[in-house]
Amino acid sequence: MNRHQLGEFEEIVMLTVGILYKEAYGVAIIDEIEARQNRKVSIGALQTVLRRLEDKGYLTSEFGEATNVRGGKRKRYFSLTSLGSRILRETQEQRVEMFNAIPRMAFPKS
Amino acid sequence: MNSIPHIQPPKFFLRFFRWFCDPAIMEDIEGDLTEMFARDIDSGNITKAKIQFSVRILGLFRPGIIKKIGRPSLSNHSSPMFKNYFITSVRSLVRSAGFSTINIVGLAVGLATFSLIAFYVYSELSYDRYHVKADRIFRIVENLRTENEELFQSTSSPPMGPRFLKDFPEVENYVRLQQWSLLAQRNDISSYEPETYIADSTVFDIFSFNLVKGDKKTALREPFSIVLTESMAKKYFGNEEPVGQTLKMDYDNYKVTGVMEDVPENSHFRFSNLISFSTWSRNNKDYEDRAWFWNGFHTYVLLHEGASVENVRSKMKDFIKRNVKEAGMYYEDLPLQPLSSIYMAAPRSWENGTRGSMNNIYILSIIAVFILLIACFNYINLATARASRRLKEVGLRKTLGALRRMLIAQFLGESLIITIVASILAVGLVWISLPYFRGLVESQLSFSVLPNVWYVAGVMIGLVLFIGLLAGAYPAYIISQFQPVQIFRSSTKGIFGHNGMRKVLVSIQFIISIMLVAGTLLVYDQLDVVRNQDLGFTKKGVIVVPTNGDTAIVNYLDAVKNELKRIPGVVQASGSTSTPGQSAGNNYTEIEMTDGKMSPTNINFIYADHDFLSTYEIKLIAGRNFQRDVKSDDTTAYLINETAIKDFGWTPEQALGKKVRGRQGGKIIGVMKDFNYRSLHTKVEPLMVAMTTYVGRMSIRLEGTDLPTTIANVKTKWNELIPYLPFDYSFVDVEFDRQYKADQQLGKVAGVFTGLSMFIGCLGLLGLTAFVVERRTKEIGIRKVLGASIPSVVLLITREFIWLIVIALAIATPLTWYFISRWEQNFILQAVINPLRFVMAGTVVFLIAWLTISVLSIRAANANPTKSLRME
Repeated sequence: MNRHQLGEFEEIVMLTVGILYKEAYGVAIIDEIEARQNRKVSIGALQTVLRRLEDKGYLTSEFGEATNVRGGKRKRYFSLTSLGSRILRETQEQRVEMFNAIPRMAFPKS
Repeated sequence: MNSIPHIQPPKFFLRFFRWFCDPAIMEDIEGDLTEMFARDIDSGNITKAKIQFSVRILGLFRPGIIKKIGRPSLSNHSSPMFKNYFITSVRSLVRSAGFSTINIVGLAVGLATFSLIAFYVYSELSYDRYHVKADRIFRIVENLRTENEELFQSTSSPPMGPRFLKDFPEVENYVRLQQWSLLAQRNDISSYEPETYIADSTVFDIFSFNLVKGDKKTALREPFSIVLTESMAKKYFGNEEPVGQTLKMDYDNYKVTGVMEDVPENSHFRFSNLISFSTWSRNNKDYEDRAWFWNGFHTYVLLHEGASVENVRSKMKDFIKRNVKEAGMYYEDLPLQPLSSIYMAAPRSWENGTRGSMNNIYILSIIAVFILLIACFNYINLATARASRRLKEVGLRKTLGALRRMLIAQFLGESLIITIVASILAVGLVWISLPYFRGLVESQLSFSVLPNVWYVAGVMIGLVLFIGLLAGAYPAYIISQFQPVQIFRSSTKGIFGHNGMRKVLVSIQFIISIMLVAGTLLVYDQLDVVRNQDLGFTKKGVIVVPTNGDTAIVNYLDAVKNELKRIPGVVQASGSTSTPGQSAGNNYTEIEMTDGKMSPTNINFIYADHDFLSTYEIKLIAGRNFQRDVKSDDTTAYLINETAIKDFGWTPEQALGKKVRGRQGGKIIGVMKDFNYRSLHTKVEPLMVAMTTYVGRMSIRLEGTDLPTTIANVKTKWNELIPYLPFDYSFVDVEFDRQYKADQQLGKVAGVFTGLSMFIGCLGLLGLTAFVVERRTKEIGIRKVLGASIPSVVLLITREFIWLIVIALAIATPLTWYFISRWEQNFILQAVINPLRFVMAGTVVFLIAWLTISVLSIRAANANPTKSLRME
């Protein structure tokens, strides 16, 4: 399981790709993360992570249609592979498991 | 979405992106970028959109996005491969240690000279730029039209500054400066301070001079206030606190009101102390307000932030018309010189401080580039010549599948290694030679002139990379071109087919060397002509002692002179306001023209005593000199020079008796033969000599062979007569020749660098010869066996080079001729360009080259053929 450790940003990107389902291409992903997480995402950071995740086999991609606003360049839509979704689920389960393992007393009373 | 289709994202960054991006993922990322850009544009701010676009692309420049270097299939091996390149490169460098040394030393010397010259050029161009407000400061200069001529002066009159401030809303402030030379005395120290300036109290608001002690608002307000520079404060007050103390200058006591940092080296005028302007204006109120044509000051104005100098310039005609009454002369124009351009601008009359020469900067820069080129050519020549040594390696690499671009990378890397080693050596060389270089260019060249360290380091690294690539590109191209099969062919002819390129490079080296040698010789010719030119007065053996109008000397002038003349070796002595080689002041004067009308003019004046002409042996071509027995001569007699009467259209005889109204009414009693009272950079200007009792400088003409003894005797006498006046003498000829300082420096510097460029060129030649000899060892052996004599073998090797030198001479001669004749335009008297100098330069270069070549070729010719033929 250790071999499949996801970084924080990687995890967020994969989650977003999942959220956007069939609409997950560069700009849309950035917008989604920025809206949900209230943080700035640089295209450089995002694209590097996307390619890395694709290399690892967590994501797959295919070209979409070309639009005028993109100067005739096609969009590349990303989607989760079955390996990717398994990793994502495992990561989430791990988190929840760990969260549940926190003894109640450890939370300061508010 | 498609509302503003015409705005394009920044081209440069887009191209950069396309260049570095992995093609497999380029399309969609570019699409994303375009989409985001379009969205930014829609939000309104185009500039911001462009900036964000560029920032994003820079953010994309990271591993993962950048395309892989080399074929993807090789990418896994690239690191050990580079290690291998490095090892083979270093091995080959070490194996041919001799050639590597030649390359490294040549490049190191080239880089070191280049850096030194660049440093000097930078410091020359940095003049006055340290002032925070430099780009808003301008100097008012005057184009003054009199009836007879137009005068271009660096000075302006006292009402100019205040009136500028009043009339032009663009002007924020002004400062007027005037140079005085005063004798400073405190306790037992007494010394002339020729770099004393009076200045308006605004001087600290305009210029960025740092006041260390005192208040910059009030320091120069009261009359007889003085602000000392730190070094002058130290000179007179040692470790005492100077502020609040008094310092005697000439006859007055000044109160020290402040201490400032020394004026930086790169300032177009420098001073040791500043005296309050009110010290002068207190008694000259009338002059200050109304003397529009008394041009005694250098006035600098500060414009408001954002104000345009063109605005001021466009209103200038009107300004002049409104303020200045015509008085027989008028201002054609009042140009405003930007502060940072003054140092390099063509000097006007009465300049303050020293001036640089743009010409010299150009010439030095060219020399610097030349030297660097010679060093690069050496590398290219040797690397291509010795390429055969690397054939097997290249062949093997190619057979094993190395791509051409990998080989190019390898050999570029190799030249980079050499350049980097050379640059480390160069830093050492610069370190060692900097003190000598400072002496050579007579400049302090302090590091404080340079911008911050990182900037300098960046430029240096850039230079090293550039040189490495420049030198390495061609050899890498040639070597990577080899076909593996060629190694196994018996003939190596095809490989040396690029010999033509080497010949071209070597000829260029020779051309540069000949140009430098001939150029240096011709510069010295010109300086000789200038120095030995009959100036119309005697400058040899005349010494000048400043007296600053000392009352004892003024009152007992003849007695002092007689005492001095009694010393053996002293021929004549004379007192005057100024001496030849110094700037002579000009005065408003009216002179009677042929039609009897009085015509106003601004003419240069020297005020002198009876013996001035005889001390300097200035000849009269009409009339008479001042005479002691004609009492009225003291106030009413004027001498005029030839140029002036030619301007007025008189014969010498006609000039005599013409009325003059200047300081006092009088007549012209004599016409002097023209003498060059200023350097031969300028024509002789009209001049008048009148008598004075004020003695600013005492000229003493000496004769005999033992000048030092005579001077020592004069000094003893001087100290006996006037013990409180320092005998601070200088030779007129030395002082006069100082006006050619920039030219002499050029000669010296050019000489040294010519030597260096020859040295580097010879290194390369030595390497090439060594290579040729090595390659032809067997040929020479066979020739000798067949009965060739040693001279014929030497000739065989040197023949090629001789031809190159002849061609180089033919190309270098007209080029040098052209450049030198342009340079000589700086002088009114030009040396004839002597064709023999080119022959000499050619011979010198030839001899040195021949010696270099011979050393090796004679050894080769003398070698026993059995040894060279037995090798296989």
